Amino acid sequence: MSDLQSLAVTLDNAAQNAQAIAQLSHAEQFSMADAYEIQKRSIALRVARGAKRVGMKMGFTSRAKMIQMGLFDMIWGRLTADMVLEDGAPMPFKKYVHPRVEPEIAFLLKKPLIGSITPMQALAAVEAIAPAMEVIDSRYANFKFALNDVVADNASSSGFVTGPWNSPTLDFSNLGLVMSFNGRPVQIGSTAGILGHPLRSLVAAARFAEEAGEPLEAGWIVMAGGATAAEALKPGTWVEMEMQSLGRVAFNVAA
Amino acid sequence: MSTTKAAPAKTTTAQIKALAEGIRKAVETGVAVKPIRDALSERDLDAAYAIQRVNTQYWVKQGRRLVGRKIGLTSKSVQTQLGVDQPDYGMLYADMALCDGDEVPLSRVMQPKVEGEVALVLERDLDAEHITISELISAVAYVVPAIEIVGSRIENWNIKIQDTIADNASSGLFVLGNEPRKLAGLDLRLCGMVMERRGDQISLGAGAACLGNPLNAAVWLARTMVAVGAPLKAGDVLMTGALGPMGTVAPGDVIEVRIAGLGSVRTAFGA
Repeated sequence: MSDLQSLAVTLDNAAQNAQAIAQLSHAEQFSMADAYEIQKRSIALRVARGAKRVGMKMGFTSRAKMIQMGLFDMIWGRLTADMVLEDGAPMPFKKYVHPRVEPEIAFLLKKPLIGSITPMQALAAVEAIAPAMEVIDSRYANFKFALNDVVADNASSSGFVTGPWNSPTLDFSNLGLVMSFNGRPVQIGSTAGILGHPLRSLVAAARFAEEAGEPLEAGWIVMAGGATAAEALKPGTWVEMEMQSLGRVAFNVAA
Repeated sequence: MSTTKAAPAKTTTAQIKALAEGIRKAVETGVAVKPIRDALSERDLDAAYAIQRVNTQYWVKQGRRLVGRKIGLTSKSVQTQLGVDQPDYGMLYADMALCDGDEVPLSRVMQPKVEGEVALVLERDLDAEHITISELISAVAYVVPAIEIVGSRIENWNIKIQDTIADNASSGLFVLGNEPRKLAGLDLRLCGMVMERRGDQISLGAGAACLGNPLNAAVWLARTMVAVGAPLKAGDVLMTGALGPMGTVAPGDVIEVRIAGLGSVRTAFGA
């Protein structure tokens, strides 16, 4: 078996070169703990090149999707500064393998969070909330993977964009949202699609942070997870997501 | 083209009356009928509405009181599924109205399913030709969240647009919330909708899923009603169409719909 470091290098190369690879699990057997270790090492390579850690993303936060995939827990990935897309700006399509986009809500933290916390403690650590979109882009061919594969691959995370920051005092448990491509709605949903209440995702993020021994830090962003299914991106698409009360976030898929 | 089945000749008045009676019998006996579309000429929506109208006249004569209209087939996914590019409408009667929290026997509606919707109540008649969105907005007295309990008198919900139109747009019962809101300040396009069955999410959506905005659906209805000579009146309730997928129900279920900005509404199902 290849060591975890070489698997981390394989994934890091695939991400850097936007080159799809075969599922690691086809050739190797590795546990979920190994998968998170591969992810950690692969992101460490990126950080060593100068990309700062800026937060955490949560995956499989839709209850329907969890049941559908026979899962009982969420997965998570690491956000780095080189993954930030600018609201309204071009997104370089060539930097991705087969990118998809999903509507989310983002938390900006004002206090560190770690361990087993209540939703109230989670809320007390939130500086602001924003409408957001995540670009997911599996490094595996055909977007096909086993659970340990996707965890090793940073939970498919590859880019994110946040819109206007709002006070977290408004009720964000059921904010309607419309994601559209070139003005035509492609996904319509509600923030209630994120675990019934997006705050639950932040509670889970703090729990994962403890398992990883990496506290969520003040100034970090936590992407709460997809509120609807993801949509495949194509060059020449103006992607917009509007969320009730919070505002709009957008980007342009460049050639 | 020689293999194309010739469309049946235009449906006769006698056929329309017979098909209408068939649907009424299904309501009375609780036994669903076979789809009726094959008895109608291809794509003949006029005949389907004629069947609905025969029953409307029959029921009104029997003493049922008309209190509004429902709009159906307002979501793109349902339109695609049925191969149509337009919504449809049906009649709402006073005996179909439930209060928030009422318990209803499951047997009151054949093959019941539930939808979360925005309901509008009018305070002005809308009888002008080609009603505009501003006229519609000015005519709305208030808005409430609603549950529509749809049903089908057609076997196994095996419906195409002609079947559902003839069957009063698959209507059943409707439950209105009782905290009326003014339209001003409401975002009916982006309002989130959650429907729960005994606390489990069974449907999610937003106002945009209903023809882009429930008000757009209402404008379509107002224009259509003027065109068919039965304009909407002050006091009418408009069930504007589902904001998310339909849900199923079983005896003992409690269904709650929450629409952000509008509040919530619920109903319980008995055996």
